[in-house]
Amino acid sequence: MKKIINHPDLVVSETLKGLALAEPTLEYIPDVEVIAKKVKSGRVGIVSGGGSGHEPAHAGYVGAGMLDAAVAGNMFSSPSPDRIIEGIRRADSGKGVLLVIKNYSGDIMNFELAEEIARMEGIEVDHVIVRDDVAVEDSTYSTGRRGIAGTVYVHKIAGAKAATGADLAEVKAAAEKAIANVRSMGMAMAACTLPAVGRPNFELGENEIEIGMGIHGEPGVHKSEVQSAKALAKTLTDFLFADYDFDNSRVALLVNGLGATPIMELYILNAEVHEILKSRGIRVVHTLVGNYMTSIDMAGASVTLMKLDDELEELLLAPCRTPGLKIGG
Amino acid sequence: MRIDSQLYVAYLLRAYELIRANETYVTDLDLATGDGDHWANLNKGFAKLNDLSEELKTLPLNALFQKIGMTMMATIGGSSGVLYGGAYIAAGKKLAGKEFMTAEDLRDVLQEMLNDIQTRGKAQRGFKTMIDALAPAVDAFTAGLEANSDEKELLGSVKRAAEAGAEATKKMEAVRGRATYQADKGVGHLDPGAVTMAYQISALCDTVAETL
Repeated sequence: MKKIINHPDLVVSETLKGLALAEPTLEYIPDVEVIAKKVKSGRVGIVSGGGSGHEPAHAGYVGAGMLDAAVAGNMFSSPSPDRIIEGIRRADSGKGVLLVIKNYSGDIMNFELAEEIARMEGIEVDHVIVRDDVAVEDSTYSTGRRGIAGTVYVHKIAGAKAATGADLAEVKAAAEKAIANVRSMGMAMAACTLPAVGRPNFELGENEIEIGMGIHGEPGVHKSEVQSAKALAKTLTDFLFADYDFDNSRVALLVNGLGATPIMELYILNAEVHEILKSRGIRVVHTLVGNYMTSIDMAGASVTLMKLDDELEELLLAPCRTPGLKIGG
Repeated sequence: MRIDSQLYVAYLLRAYELIRANETYVTDLDLATGDGDHWANLNKGFAKLNDLSEELKTLPLNALFQKIGMTMMATIGGSSGVLYGGAYIAAGKKLAGKEFMTAEDLRDVLQEMLNDIQTRGKAQRGFKTMIDALAPAVDAFTAGLEANSDEKELLGSVKRAAEAGAEATKKMEAVRGRATYQADKGVGHLDPGAVTMAYQISALCDTVAETL
């Protein structure tokens, strides 16, 4: 294992410390592993979080127009409720807090308990659950579909809605609308290495890829031979189209890298996906290409589409400024 | 039966001793089907409660349960931490204004913990989890109360039900957790979570029985 680390136990805290030093508007709260805005928004607060290893998610999406706080767990495991409660407190301006949770059993248990306790403290809290991965219906760590890269759009939409001064119910409704309209499909080319384990967490053959693999290395749909970018774009988008009717609509497109795939390859994939979308009369309003929801150093990519209406388009294009995503402004 | 905060903390210390004494046994059970960290995590939680014991004794029962819950979720971590933590916080709500628990109160507390763990963990008895030790103990408690059993006998039957429940996980197929992914679904192995739950119930029954 070759990694720029000091000790496996310090990976999470040192990541967040480094992030906060790169972005002076953010504060790192040690021990509870929270990144929060130094100045509260005065609006409905948006909090997300989950296991570490998906950087820039989730701490990298804290900032103007997106999250108010993010809570990090250990590598690939949910933060405990005491940490999440601190995130909720940091995000609360007295207007309530919305939790954006990815659909994993551990995350749901911990975030829901944190929500109950925060309510006992008198903070108004609600949550939404992102389940955008069309690959499998149930998985190693989830009952129902997993939450993956589409979560970035949910952060963006919820944060933009909160920035308009909307109340908690309205912010939740916008986030739910984003969730209802977002779908993702990914594939892996090589495993990732957890710093504490020191070796890859699964094996793929030299010319083998796994379609639909999860962002923790959970099993996907099937293994296949390496495909061309064109074939891969078709394979991934076919899953999306089979699940949701995007034809003749306008969409936001995210071509996401899992950590070890060069941006160059993501651009090649992006060009192929654009070609396919055009052929189906789908208009791409906004494209993101890059590492937005990673799996440490896994090689591979995912494609996310979010169907837009006027409200979602306006919220998507509203300015935001975070370490992981900057739009407009 | 009269269980105040002082006595409940005495139980926590006894449970800590019992857990500490079974490190190798529980870890070996866990290594057979899981990732081997259950004992270490649970022990960490009880060690922290042990450190806090002087402060805990002074708290009213509901605040005691709340504090135990918060401590467990923060120190045990993972699913066990949130399930135990949530169970204690839920049960604590039942204890507002009470200076001590009667036998009925204790049954209600255990029932509330069971309900919370089942709801939060989306699991039922027979899934090869800690529920398989707790649920039969609650049944035995209720049966003993309905039969107007002598309290010492009642506690003995609760303890035996928990131990038998943990033992029964040996033949169960796992429905939750890592053992699900093994070819045999953990059949032939005891569930470590059920075993440590039985330790706690057993320590609780013994601690209370000694005051009767």
